[in-house]
Amino acid sequence: MSATRPRPLLVVGAGIAGITATLEAAEAGHEVVLVEREPAVGGRAIRSHHYFPKLCPPSCGMELNTRRLERNPRVRVITGATVTACRESNGGREVTVARTPAFVNDRCTLCGACSAVCPAKVKDPFNLGMAEVPAIRLPHPYAWPKRFVLDRDACPAGCRKCAEACTYDAIDLDAKPTQETIEAAAVVVATGWNPYPIDKLPELGGGVLADVIANVQMERLAAPAGPTGGKILRPSDGKPPTRVAFVQCAGSRDTNHLPYCSAVCCLATLKQAIYVHEQLPEAEITIFYIDRRTPGRNEDMLTRVAELKGVHFVKGKVGSVVAGADGSLVLKAEDVELGRIVETRVDLVVLATGMVPNLKSDETPFGLLRDEDGFGVEGAAGVIVAGVARRPEDVAATTRDATGAAAKACMVTGRSA
Amino acid sequence: MAAIPSLAPSLPAREALLRRGAANVGRCYQCATCSSVCELAPAEAPFPRRLVLLAQWGLVDRLAADPAVWLCHQCNDCTVRCPRDARPGDVVGAVRSLVIEKLAFPGFLGRLVGAARVSWPLLLALPVLFWVALLSWTGHLAVPAGIEANWAYEDLVPHRYIYAVFFPVAAWVLLAAVVSGTRFWKLIGSSGQRQGSLLGNLLPVLTGVATHDRFAKCTAAKPRRLGHLTLLWGFVGAAVTSGLLIVGIYVQHLEMPLALAHPYKILGNVSMALLLVGIALLVGNRLGDAKVAGASSAFDTFFLSLVVLVVLTGTAVELVRLAGDADLGRTLYVLHLGVVMSLFLTFPYSKFAHMLYRTLALVHARMTGIDMPKQ
Repeated sequence: MSATRPRPLLVVGAGIAGITATLEAAEAGHEVVLVEREPAVGGRAIRSHHYFPKLCPPSCGMELNTRRLERNPRVRVITGATVTACRESNGGREVTVARTPAFVNDRCTLCGACSAVCPAKVKDPFNLGMAEVPAIRLPHPYAWPKRFVLDRDACPAGCRKCAEACTYDAIDLDAKPTQETIEAAAVVVATGWNPYPIDKLPELGGGVLADVIANVQMERLAAPAGPTGGKILRPSDGKPPTRVAFVQCAGSRDTNHLPYCSAVCCLATLKQAIYVHEQLPEAEITIFYIDRRTPGRNEDMLTRVAELKGVHFVKGKVGSVVAGADGSLVLKAEDVELGRIVETRVDLVVLATGMVPNLKSDETPFGLLRDEDGFGVEGAAGVIVAGVARRPEDVAATTRDATGAAAKACMVTGRSA
Repeated sequence: MAAIPSLAPSLPAREALLRRGAANVGRCYQCATCSSVCELAPAEAPFPRRLVLLAQWGLVDRLAADPAVWLCHQCNDCTVRCPRDARPGDVVGAVRSLVIEKLAFPGFLGRLVGAARVSWPLLLALPVLFWVALLSWTGHLAVPAGIEANWAYEDLVPHRYIYAVFFPVAAWVLLAAVVSGTRFWKLIGSSGQRQGSLLGNLLPVLTGVATHDRFAKCTAAKPRRLGHLTLLWGFVGAAVTSGLLIVGIYVQHLEMPLALAHPYKILGNVSMALLLVGIALLVGNRLGDAKVAGASSAFDTFFLSLVVLVVLTGTAVELVRLAGDADLGRTLYVLHLGVVMSLFLTFPYSKFAHMLYRTLALVHARMTGIDMPKQ
């Protein structure tokens, strides 16, 4: 460590929180290393079809962000990498970063010759497994770094077709994992979340009935880069649904599942109701809810959705979703305002599931205190938690939270520099 | 403008419910998962969400007038699914115990049994002591000298004492049950327009009770249904045996004790076996998963213990006679008479009273049609 080159700030997770913290700190003059597990940045946000309440696609904002990352000389982004150790060292943090093998290097021109010859298919992680893609491919149209990625585990034994097809010498099938140690002044943990798995909700048809999907899957169904090219279709028969139901608090605010409110599902559903209505204006949309949590100006979304033709709100949590006779789905709930049981027949059910912090299940190397739900609590010196790793929140709140985390990290960096 | 109905929330009533097993009632946030998973709830008047809300506010008057309190069989399917662990099944169970107390005639006996947590020694000991005193006074406490080897219990306690005590006890209990039942019938009458006669609808309801057809719709409470059904038939068998024995003694002039192969004896012993199996299943269920079994308040435990004591002393009385030990037999017989009397006397005030109220509620549901399956 030289006196002229201060130790960098290390940000873990390149979702909207990590990217924001990285840019804020870097643009304030600090060196930042951003470490991302996936081959491209963007996390959960880039998998959304629209942001609420503006109802614009995240790809354009994300493009601005990646351009800022790319052009800032103080930023170094390491993708396909995880933090395996994070020790206290000289008042900062000595962080070990393990990188998966770089089978595709930066000579890749995205020509696609490799994909064309690839014999192996994998479930597309960008589209939450709703589509199949070649083992070697561009992760998604907005991927940055713009580089192909290879799921080496999916390769048939001895197959070297992609390497042979590549005319740019961009593919090294024998690449090895690497590791490096970074002396960081402070660490921002922005490891984000995963959706609560719907197969834990079999009573609501989750994991049992094909046309019961999660809200995050609905985002992919509606997105142009999604498995259906942006057409909202039933997974079972590929037909557009005429009746869609949203089940709020599916596995949330529930001591049998996630005991907390994930803070975004109400608005995500309102947003989805709007774009389902736009694409399928004749569709009947029923939203089953306990409470409609739309704080602040987000309440305007509620007013807007309530005025849409064909949208119905039913106060009452859905107790069961079963298969109907004609391929439909039947939801059972008590309509609390009417005081009677309603059985609603629909074509597509969207379970509004919540967020599980990745810190909950990961063997976390950060020495963090976590609350009973697995969210990170600040405490360890030089380790700052940001975004949904800290608490459930929407993208707007996440960017504010990440900006605050960057400010805290800069103060630590400033002291130790 | 129509008058706005005023509610009178009652903190003492809410606290009474908390003590009686509704400890988590305050956790309910009215999501209505419970109503939607209840297989017994009528579509047009679902429960238990509504009942839990009334319980949160301590609105006992409304709860007492609501037949849904008794249409609930405490499957606990609601409790298993409740996202807040508010345990709706336990809440409605606690409501039933409070309603039994509220409708009791006379009220002080309802309060006495309602306070089983502290009053249970009294409720058990008084009837036993009554029999000790009666037999002591009439000179029957000691086993007669030179009793035959093949003695019968009449040689220890002549039947006339049993009739002299139990006929008035039964008459009194019947009166108390009729008064409470009438109160209840009037209260729930406001919840719907009845059609047909009470008696005309009683038979189909009893047919359903005989097979526990409603209980069969429960998921979580499947094991309890079997125990409850077995116990019910054990009691029915025991009651029929008692009636047959009166006929046997006074019409047929049969010699007591009856041989083990006598049809009445066989019926009695089969009933005893059913009672033993039923009570074992129910006690076993209580010792299992608390969410499935439901809360065990003192009110529940008192009644269950009383049934256990009646069945065990009854079984022991027969076994000891077969073994020929008259001294032990006398002691057990006095205990048995005491606990049976306690079971009778507390019937309108203990959990036993569910037999009365649930039957009436089921008849009411039939007559009002709220319970008819949706077409």
